[in-house]
Amino acid sequence: MLGKLDWSAIPFDQPIPLVAGAIVLVGILAVLIWVVAKGHLPYLWHEWITSVDHKRIGVMYILLASVMLLRGGSDAIMMRIQQAVAYQSQGFLPPEHYNQIFSAHGTIMIFFVAMPFVIGLMNLIVPLQLGVRDVAFPTLNSVGFWLTATGALLVNLSLVVGEFARTGWLAFPPLSELSYSPGVGVDYYAWSLQISGVGTLVAGINLVTTVLKLRTKGMNYLRMPMFCWTTLASNLLIVAAFPILTATLAMLLLDRYLGFHFFTNEAGGNIMMFMNLIWAWGHPEVYILVLPAFGIFSEVVSTFSGKALFGYRSMVLATMAICVISFMVWLHHFFTMGAGPDVNAIFGIASMIIAVPTGVKIYNWLFTMYGGRIRFATPMLWAIGFMVTFIVGGLTGVLLAVPPADFMLHNSMFLVAHFHNVIIGGVLFGAFAGFEYWFPKAFGFRLDERWGKLAFWFTFLGFYVTFVPLYVAGMLGMTRRMQHYDVAEWRPWMFVAAAGMAVLSIGVICQIVQIVVSIRNREALRDRTGDPWDGRSLEWATSSPPPVFNFAFHPDVRGEDAYWDMKTRAQQQSLEHEAPEYHDIEMPRNSPTGFICAFFATIMGFALIWHIWWMVILGGIGAFATFVVFAWRDHDEYVIPAEEVAAIDRINLEERRSLVSMAGAV
Amino acid sequence: MAMTATVGHAHADPHHIGVVIEHPGPASKRIVTAYGFWVFLLSDIVMFSCFFAAYAVLVSQTAGGPRGSEIFEQRNVAIETVCLLLSSFTCGMASIAADVRNRFWFYLGMTVTCVLGLIFLVIEFREFADLVARGYGPSRSAFLTSFFSLVGCHGLHVSAGILWLLTMMAQVFGKGFRADVLRRMMCFALFWHALDIVWVGVFSVVYLLGSGV
Amino acid sequence: MSDQAHTRTEHDIAPGDEEQHSVGERVIGYVVGLGLALLLTATSFFIAGTDLVWQPSIPVALIVLAIAQMGVHLVFFLHITTGPDNTNNVLALAFGAMVVFLVVGGTVWIMGHLNQNMPPMDQIMQMHR
Repeated sequence: MLGKLDWSAIPFDQPIPLVAGAIVLVGILAVLIWVVAKGHLPYLWHEWITSVDHKRIGVMYILLASVMLLRGGSDAIMMRIQQAVAYQSQGFLPPEHYNQIFSAHGTIMIFFVAMPFVIGLMNLIVPLQLGVRDVAFPTLNSVGFWLTATGALLVNLSLVVGEFARTGWLAFPPLSELSYSPGVGVDYYAWSLQISGVGTLVAGINLVTTVLKLRTKGMNYLRMPMFCWTTLASNLLIVAAFPILTATLAMLLLDRYLGFHFFTNEAGGNIMMFMNLIWAWGHPEVYILVLPAFGIFSEVVSTFSGKALFGYRSMVLATMAICVISFMVWLHHFFTMGAGPDVNAIFGIASMIIAVPTGVKIYNWLFTMYGGRIRFATPMLWAIGFMVTFIVGGLTGVLLAVPPADFMLHNSMFLVAHFHNVIIGGVLFGAFAGFEYWFPKAFGFRLDERWGKLAFWFTFLGFYVTFVPLYVAGMLGMTRRMQHYDVAEWRPWMFVAAAGMAVLSIGVICQIVQIVVSIRNREALRDRTGDPWDGRSLEWATSSPPPVFNFAFHPDVRGEDAYWDMKTRAQQQSLEHEAPEYHDIEMPRNSPTGFICAFFATIMGFALIWHIWWMVILGGIGAFATFVVFAWRDHDEYVIPAEEVAAIDRINLEERRSLVSMAGAV
Repeated sequence: MAMTATVGHAHADPHHIGVVIEHPGPASKRIVTAYGFWVFLLSDIVMFSCFFAAYAVLVSQTAGGPRGSEIFEQRNVAIETVCLLLSSFTCGMASIAADVRNRFWFYLGMTVTCVLGLIFLVIEFREFADLVARGYGPSRSAFLTSFFSLVGCHGLHVSAGILWLLTMMAQVFGKGFRADVLRRMMCFALFWHALDIVWVGVFSVVYLLGSGV
Repeated sequence: MSDQAHTRTEHDIAPGDEEQHSVGERVIGYVVGLGLALLLTATSFFIAGTDLVWQPSIPVALIVLAIAQMGVHLVFFLHITTGPDNTNNVLALAFGAMVVFLVVGGTVWIMGHLNQNMPPMDQIMQMHR
């Protein structure tokens, strides 16, 4: 009746996951009770859960990422403490638990922190920058978000019901095959990634179509803000790479569930093919994450330097070059696998070549800053911190791209330090920069600068104190994923790294404090004009937070830096606006499709993991029925009457005019 | 505000090479929907390419089991191929009928498409069942694993397509040729034709090339 | 999002949509496509089973025929053309084709070299015997 599920699935003998799970459960229950008791449930349901507004969905993505960042971060803290204490001893984490923690840490940080964070920012900002009212497929957008949330839910469920994979974040066979991992850990891993992978694919298709087909009047390709270009490149990569992940995990699941022989040791299966396929997804994936961050930095650097982006066209070219070359380097993740010198050499050279467009970008940012009036606001600090950190990470990456050097450093702590260097220094700093930069746009008030700067400095310094020792430990021969070790030389470095982790954690706490303080002082920090940073692209041309329809009119774009252009012209023409004529606006109706679909997906995923077949069928039918019901509805749009549009728009227009006339008077 | 900092940036588009064609604004819903689906199809084909790659890698790993030439029946494959090609044609007829809002030809075209698709599935199912009965199931060897999953993946897509086809017919029956129904019909036609393209790869690589290995 | 939707068919066209044609012309398009596809399929099946041609050329011929038939399907069934209104659709297709080529070609190349340098398990077993 319940497949493999029984009471032994709950780890009563392991206090750490049980207590952690209990705390999370109590937390969720407390929030739920508070929401219901305060009567916020209808608001939550109508305004957020069923919302198809790209801004709301973007915020929910970021919220999901932030919560999961805390989960993945606690895993990281446990690992650092374990390696600091586990010298010639077992430390405080038993091996099978430690293995689950590093697997969960990697999985969560990539799939449920970095991905939702950048997708959330893209969702929130790209339609605004393109001057349109929503993404191409608003309801699908909601489906995509909720499926990602389903994946995250399943991963967290594995904490208390069953176990998580002990195979590392990519579940390499033969360890992940049924004969070596008979438990449900790998199944939790694979199904949560399959479900959230569908969500990611949906988001990718949506954003590609949005950038290519929904742009306001005059927004030619070469007038798009850089963030839109990197969004396009990143989502093209999602669309092309995520199917590879889906196929590879499907093969692994077929091996595990139906006795197929893709990656088994017996009957001619080929383990190496898994490495090959998973990294054919895995390498584009790192560019999926970092390209949007590059876009964020381009926006931030140009805004806070008060200059147009230097070398816009070379930046576009570099972005698209990365988009293509990122599909030609995947073998550098397994140089040591034995493909031979010619294959290794060609992929090594391709890996070095891909550093060139990235270098172009760095120079472009530096030249944008050169001669500009730089304002060192928090987003700009993150951008500068990124440039320094990312160059170090990029250079160690080029080092690893040399096959003979890689043979020495493969799977060492040096590698661990390298990819944390690029992912934290690139993606996470980018996500934080974007968060600080666009927070006023999403919520209508700025974030507290003092706490923001503190958060930056603690995170920045904490990062170096944590990861430079790992480089050294790697050079001293320490391999990754060690539950305990007997080499005395490594120990001091592990202590330093643990101390660095503490500093990093203070950075995270500062960030939380920053949000709390800013919410408290929101009246003082209120952004009335919608343009708190003296911005250059169209998202600043509407109020903060933007009305549900984003723009009363589709803005007319005449060049790069569309909004800067408008401001300049408005000043020169001394503001003789005639009263504009407003029209009715049609907007997509809210729909619970995404939420219901995710509900059935959760049931189906859970049932698949535990082999509860009747429940699988039930979930499948439910999901199909949801879509049919959605397809049958007669009214998919509602109309906002012209008077309402006018009323909303006029308030913002007044604020904006007073701002421009003030600036004109200066 | 430092708005006065950099005035004189009026020529934000400095490289006017010839005449710049102004972008006309957001595309119509029909174009947006079909384009999005087109992008999805491309991603689906990338997924198929992984199974093709796996087949290419594992085709010689028979582990003492049968080779392709010993189990493939050219005649069945030919019938399957003709079924799919004809169904692509009738699906095209159904989409023309939908565009001119002719119910009779639409239902006829869709029904024939559905029947041809079902014949294809029955033949494929019998081939699979026969192989499994002879002990040549997917767990026999890595070659059979890759064969079953590649061909089966295409078969699953055809099954999903038939489910979608029936839903489309029900939609036209219930809602008529509404704009959103027509958009979905266009996506369905794209899907069905794309499956044919994948099948061309399948019969060429798996059945014809594979029996030569 | 769909306010006063600019239907600019002269600049852009949905994939799968044709330019304005009468029903008769469209049907003829499908008939031609079906004919060509059947012809190419028949050739493929014939080539694969025949000993009339030089044997090593058969795999190449089959691949060429398959690509040709995919082209026929794209043009006559999916209506992907070289017209300016189709630029976006063709670019997306080209990107997809490139990725397919890289994944399949790369995998075959890498795994081929691997098998050469490190034979698969069962061959190692056989060598030990």
